[in-house]
Amino acid sequence: MAIINQAAKELQIKIVYYGPGMGGKTTNLVQLHDHVQTGSGQKGKLVSLATSSDRTLFFDFLPIEAMTIKGFKTKFQLYTVPGQVIYNTTRQLVLRGVDGIVFVADSQYEKMPENVESFQNLAENLKTLHISLDEIPYVLQYNKRDLPDVAPVEYMEFLLNNRDVQVPSFTACASKCEGVFETLNMITRQLLQKFIAQNATQPVPA
Amino acid sequence: MDTLPQLIEEDVKRLDDMLRWFMVGTDATIALIIDKGGFLITFRTGNNMAEDLDVTTIAALASGAFMANQTIANLVHESNFNSIYQQGDNNSMFVTNVDNNCLLVVIFRSATGIGPIKFYASNTVNQIAAQMKVAKDRKPGAGVDLSALNLVDTRAVFQRKQN
Repeated sequence: MAIINQAAKELQIKIVYYGPGMGGKTTNLVQLHDHVQTGSGQKGKLVSLATSSDRTLFFDFLPIEAMTIKGFKTKFQLYTVPGQVIYNTTRQLVLRGVDGIVFVADSQYEKMPENVESFQNLAENLKTLHISLDEIPYVLQYNKRDLPDVAPVEYMEFLLNNRDVQVPSFTACASKCEGVFETLNMITRQLLQKFIAQNATQPVPA
Repeated sequence: MDTLPQLIEEDVKRLDDMLRWFMVGTDATIALIIDKGGFLITFRTGNNMAEDLDVTTIAALASGAFMANQTIANLVHESNFNSIYQQGDNNSMFVTNVDNNCLLVVIFRSATGIGPIKFYASNTVNQIAAQMKVAKDRKPGAGVDLSALNLVDTRAVFQRKQN
């Protein structure tokens, strides 16, 4: 859950990029790191705990300070999980304290089973943290739209966005930074709306 | 899921005081209180810190390392892996459990040795846990009034640099 630090006047929010291996999660963070417009000192280093072949081993981590709302600095911490199936325990660790999720799906036809498996794995891992997909904000990103033999968006929606409440989805080509900012801004919007709704129901102490 | 309580100014001031006393006793380089999800709560630096440390990243990595250690403990059916200690040539690191939500991270000169760090940390950890319980029992409902943000247009949140 996000941390509201009344003393430091900070709101800290954790967003996790989830999805199958080689789907473009790390690429999303690399593009954000390279292209996000921030003031001095508002963007941290992109830290990658990766294997020698550049596959994510533990997580990637990018802290960004976004804006000040009524005196509170909003600090976003962006994480990726390792997509490879064998690293499920690591994915569970990274999900701890998550506020919002970006599910990065690979648009190639042959990757559809992996997309579905990863999405189901997300739901299961959230369950171990007593979180339901019905209550946590998340968005879908259909990445690699520039490759040949990609599945139609309607088909991917049918596979991944078929729950009772449909969530926002974006097509993307993360390697060209297309759709990357749109996706992040949407999950940010959902998260902030959620906090507003929560605050509206809570009494303010004297 | 159990989560970190909201902290008010008084909480953080007391946590800072605890860290200050810890630093006096141990002469550590830096001590951080972090959330197990990787968030930094507060930190204090010592007199011997020569350079600015990236405390945000240290918090994220230390929580990841500790939680990975906890998972190994579960795998080997060990209930008492409650700290990790990494000794280096010049600097060492000690991470210890505070409660369900928090960790204390200490980076110190290796010449100091782990003894005094563990000795002072045991008391500080109890104090931190007690303060967190106070914060949790208080259940402050105060949040951030985000209504000032125009959520219809979130393009202003993260913008791409113009090349």
